[in-house]
Amino acid sequence: MVLDNTILLGIRLISPELILICTGLFLLLLDILIKRKETVAFAGLIGIFLSIWVNLKLSSLGLSGNVFSGMFVFDRYGSFFKLIFYITAILTILISLRYLTIQKGGIGEYYALILFATAGMMFMASASDLIVLYLGLELMALSTYILTGILRGQIRSNEAAIKYFLLGAFSSAILLYGISLTYGLTGTTNINEIASSLQALNLLKSPMLFLGLIFFIVAFGFKIALVPFHMWAPDVYEGAPTSITAFMSVGPKAAGFAVFGRVFFEAFGSLHLEWSGILITLSILTMAIGSILAIQQTNLKRMLAYSSISHAGYAILGIISATPEGVSGMMNYLLIYTFMNIGAFAVLIMLNSEGVRGEELSDYEGLAKTHPLASFIMLIFMFSLTGIPPTAGFMAKFYLFMAAIKAGYMPIVIVAVIFSVVSAFFYLRVVMYMYMKEPKGEVALSTSGSLNLALIITAAVTLLIGIFPSVFLEIAKASVGGL
Amino acid sequence: MLKYTLIPLLPLISFVINILFGRNAIKDKAHWIAVPAVLGSFVLSLSAFTDVLSGNTININFYNWIISGDFNVPIGLLIDPLTAVMLIVVTSISSLIFIYSIGYMHGDKGYYRFFAYLSLFVFSMLTLVMANNFLVLYFGWEAVGLCSYFLIGFWFEKKSAVNAGKKAFIVNRFGDFGFGLGVILIFLTFGSLEYAKVFPQAGSVVGQTINILGYDINTITLICLLLFCGAVGKSAQMPLHVWLPDAMEGPTPVSALIHAATMVTAGVFMVARCNPLFTLSSTAMTTVALVGGTTAIFAASIGLVQNDIKRIIAYSTVSQLGYMFLALGMGAYTAGIFHLYTHAYFKALLFLGSGSVIHTLHDEMNIQKMGGLKKYMPITYWTFLIASLSISGIPGLSGFFSKDEILWRVYAGGGMGKFLWALATIAAFMTAFYSFRLIYLAFHGKFRGTHEQEHHLHESPSIMTVPLMLLAVGAVAAGWVGIPHILAPHSDRIGEFLAPVLGHPKGEGTHAEEWFVMGLSTVIGLAGILTAYAMYGKKTDLPQKIGSAFQPIYKLLYNKYYVDELYDKTIVRPVLNASQKVFLGFLDGKIIEGTVNGIPALIGAFGERLRKIQTGMISHYGLVMAAGALIIIWIVIF
Amino acid sequence: MLPQIFFAYFAVVITVLSILVITRKNPVHSVIWMLVLFVHIAALYIFLNAEFLAAIQIIVYAGAILVLFLFVIMLLNLKKEEQERKFHGYWPLGVLAGTFFIVFFILILSKISVFPKLGPYSIQAIQSEGSIMTIGKVLYTDYILPFEIASIVLLVAIIGAVVLAKKRIE
Repeated sequence: MVLDNTILLGIRLISPELILICTGLFLLLLDILIKRKETVAFAGLIGIFLSIWVNLKLSSLGLSGNVFSGMFVFDRYGSFFKLIFYITAILTILISLRYLTIQKGGIGEYYALILFATAGMMFMASASDLIVLYLGLELMALSTYILTGILRGQIRSNEAAIKYFLLGAFSSAILLYGISLTYGLTGTTNINEIASSLQALNLLKSPMLFLGLIFFIVAFGFKIALVPFHMWAPDVYEGAPTSITAFMSVGPKAAGFAVFGRVFFEAFGSLHLEWSGILITLSILTMAIGSILAIQQTNLKRMLAYSSISHAGYAILGIISATPEGVSGMMNYLLIYTFMNIGAFAVLIMLNSEGVRGEELSDYEGLAKTHPLASFIMLIFMFSLTGIPPTAGFMAKFYLFMAAIKAGYMPIVIVAVIFSVVSAFFYLRVVMYMYMKEPKGEVALSTSGSLNLALIITAAVTLLIGIFPSVFLEIAKASVGGL
Repeated sequence: MLKYTLIPLLPLISFVINILFGRNAIKDKAHWIAVPAVLGSFVLSLSAFTDVLSGNTININFYNWIISGDFNVPIGLLIDPLTAVMLIVVTSISSLIFIYSIGYMHGDKGYYRFFAYLSLFVFSMLTLVMANNFLVLYFGWEAVGLCSYFLIGFWFEKKSAVNAGKKAFIVNRFGDFGFGLGVILIFLTFGSLEYAKVFPQAGSVVGQTINILGYDINTITLICLLLFCGAVGKSAQMPLHVWLPDAMEGPTPVSALIHAATMVTAGVFMVARCNPLFTLSSTAMTTVALVGGTTAIFAASIGLVQNDIKRIIAYSTVSQLGYMFLALGMGAYTAGIFHLYTHAYFKALLFLGSGSVIHTLHDEMNIQKMGGLKKYMPITYWTFLIASLSISGIPGLSGFFSKDEILWRVYAGGGMGKFLWALATIAAFMTAFYSFRLIYLAFHGKFRGTHEQEHHLHESPSIMTVPLMLLAVGAVAAGWVGIPHILAPHSDRIGEFLAPVLGHPKGEGTHAEEWFVMGLSTVIGLAGILTAYAMYGKKTDLPQKIGSAFQPIYKLLYNKYYVDELYDKTIVRPVLNASQKVFLGFLDGKIIEGTVNGIPALIGAFGERLRKIQTGMISHYGLVMAAGALIIIWIVIF
Repeated sequence: MLPQIFFAYFAVVITVLSILVITRKNPVHSVIWMLVLFVHIAALYIFLNAEFLAAIQIIVYAGAILVLFLFVIMLLNLKKEEQERKFHGYWPLGVLAGTFFIVFFILILSKISVFPKLGPYSIQAIQSEGSIMTIGKVLYTDYILPFEIASIVLLVAIIGAVVLAKKRIE
């Protein structure tokens, strides 16, 4: 059989994902041949950059469209999210090297799994069929489960992996249930066809459809840790290797938002009134519980876990408002969040050394006196996570909230602002510990070239977006055009 | 364009380098970065000044910080005559004080930190004066406040310094809150934050009112009063003046630069900058004039009986700032800015001179324990004397010209002008008196300190005395740019220069009246000096006699009208009791710590219960998820 | 009528067997019940004209996976497992949640008469080609992408098993 043009086009359009997967496979072999793990990591980075290059090339050729019988869509919306995934993967690899050596978890499969997870997220972002969506999600989730438990010597890592796996399986089951109900009603799993079937078959009032819809919310809500489907997050984030926590709190979360947007805007766009009501409630709950519980934490990793929950509560405003500005605001938010959150985790990793976890708040006492530069970088991230200008975090919140106000969601924005203020308490507490307490003893920083590079990138971008936000906003705005 | 951008940027670069590498690499060579940076700014400011002098106004928008629909905030700078004058004041005095600090702070363990913060302060202050919109102004405004707070508490081992920093921060919060609201209201009213868009529109909003709690309030008046709130806090006017005397806990160069010459005048600058708005509201103008006038006499009277050398000068600063606001309130914006400019030189000189004294005496600040320093520290003495003569308004010196300008404009301003003029003239008498009381007590007579101190008396090193001498030149000659026209026609150069921005003052009077005002202020100044001489110049018991004869008044003044105690009783205590944790202390992080720990205490019970749900058991988590889903289904479908 | 009776039988038995699987103290018993459960599920597939799926269900699940389960269980310490309490005292809540769900589902179902749209593969269409052929064709044409992704998912699962079970590195 001759490959016809559509199949060729399809292969071209999924080539970024293919490159990542092939690199992953290659890394598995390389790991056997080469002792130095840095080489494996470096090869992984090359694969990612190759994939980025191909992706940019495809975009610049103006290629887009549905391929593989309408199961995979290459558009700007997906590409923007893929950008986030690439950045997440690169930064994660950069911050992992030294950490894994200290934690005695340096194995080549680690990097391969990051690549597989990234490929899974990319499939999610590009899925225009629920089956592909589900499989991408499983690919991502399965890789992340393993990565969570990769420090086999540590009980908390094992425990986190088991928890994440079981609860993740639970949410996958719910997602499948939602998919099957939707399929049962509309006879299709294609996202676009679902939308037209809903209209054509007059299903908009069907309670069964609502049940499916709620299952989607539960399953996606699990991935982005919306309350009350967030229970796994603090335990898993705390137990997982810090580099993987950084990865999880950003990549899979962004992927969750990507499919959230794709499914709810394209398939269930006509039910906006119904699902936005549910999401508003969940969003307020998420912001509230995330912030209130974060205040109580003295473990920084756990605090960041709750903070990541509350950030999901803000970002979901973009889905709720369902306007182009709202969506671009949300995408911006996620991109900025990627930098500042991975940055904060990178500082955590820097404080981690043999025997010292560097996760307790008390480890940060007087850090400004002993390590002014590290503290200053942490200060940038904490300010940014709080949303204090002129950091990127402020811009993220500003544009998102403005968009939500324009879409007519003033009351929930007020709630969001209130919880942003509440969040200042726990972020600035870190700053307070660093700058206003006396150091208890000398803290050794475990720095390395790659970690420094990651810190420089994240800190610089966090500041640059804060000072020159317009440029970045334009990118996100252009990306929504594809949706 | 790069030239103008570099003016604020150079100190910023100095800050970044010092804070990053100061601790390990630069250490006690911090001044090699900071001083050239600020000198560079000074040179560039001079060049900018000449550009403005030749008739240019520089207004650059670098880029739009935020674009969101109709909300558009550009970042940019504006150099017009007003800014140019401020640039010269800020950079010239900063340069001298930076150089002085090399000697003064020598050997301090926070040497690099000191120069880093000081550079940051200069950057912030330059941003403040060069702003071309209210947002950048607000940024600079908050940033100078932050630097001031860092520097007051610079010696954080000292509890009093920590408390002073805390006090300054909290008191300024009150003012800044109003200022922030004012900026927001400006945006809501005019739809923009740019000066160039707001000021031309100002006329069209006259008569607009805002309904607040059932009262219709004139929009412009409200805006002006809110902005003025900020000025009252920052420029230490009544009733928010309490922080400034305490701020003297910081290193003396800081007092000279921030709490005398530059930052505290930010309020004056801001009101002058917003003159198109203030002019439209007579209520706001009257408020400004009244606050200024009462502060002038009120602070001067406290200064009469204080014994701490730096506090005397601090009250003098508050009083002089009152003069400036008085002038602004009477519509004489140029006179206010003129006084700001001359005051910067002689007041910085007074502070640096007192710093030189304190340095020699190893942190002795009580003037009752000084005396006879004249022969040990001739340069300090003579420069100090010049500054004191200047502030007392002795003809020919810069203070005379600017103060006379204010007195005359107030006199001629109509309305309450005559009354306020009388207040200001009495204050002028007090100014001369306390300045020379200080001179006589500290520099004349016999040394009253310990033998140990006497043994070590010496003139300060030249790195400190040279700036003193340069500032003395300023204290003498700075005023020559604004000679009143009855002395020499067409010599009010600064008035002409600022007129395009600040306009010409209203009010007319005859030449005879003008001579009268000028003559009276000179006589009053001399009278103050003579009275001081009579009481302190010779060894008499006159001060004690007067003190005991007017015991209640003396005590009232000595205790600064009990304002601190009043605030303590009416505001601080209740608040403190209400939220012990929140208010415990700031510099040591107690405010943040308090709130951070206090809020959880408030929601603690709730949070604790929430936290208990997080048991760590997978089955519970699954159950919560399922329950959540079921509740949603219940609500949505049924 | 007969199909309904058949379906009712399988549905009830599957439910009962599922409960048995999760309530047995002895894991070996659980696995045995699961085997029976899988056979019943396979029967349900046959009932739906999906013989191929039924065969796969028996071969893969009952044949391969359950045997593996048994092996693993044999290697574990069963005594300890038997002494552990299974539901930590919270099972009534779980039962409650489950009951609620069933009630909701029944309530929703009662509002629906019929599923309005069926997919393109009706029973006639499948029977004309045979179910293996249909599935094969669909998998290798329309569903090639998901099929390939699934292979990667399986690969990751294998890697995971290897990584997590590999001898500890020191």
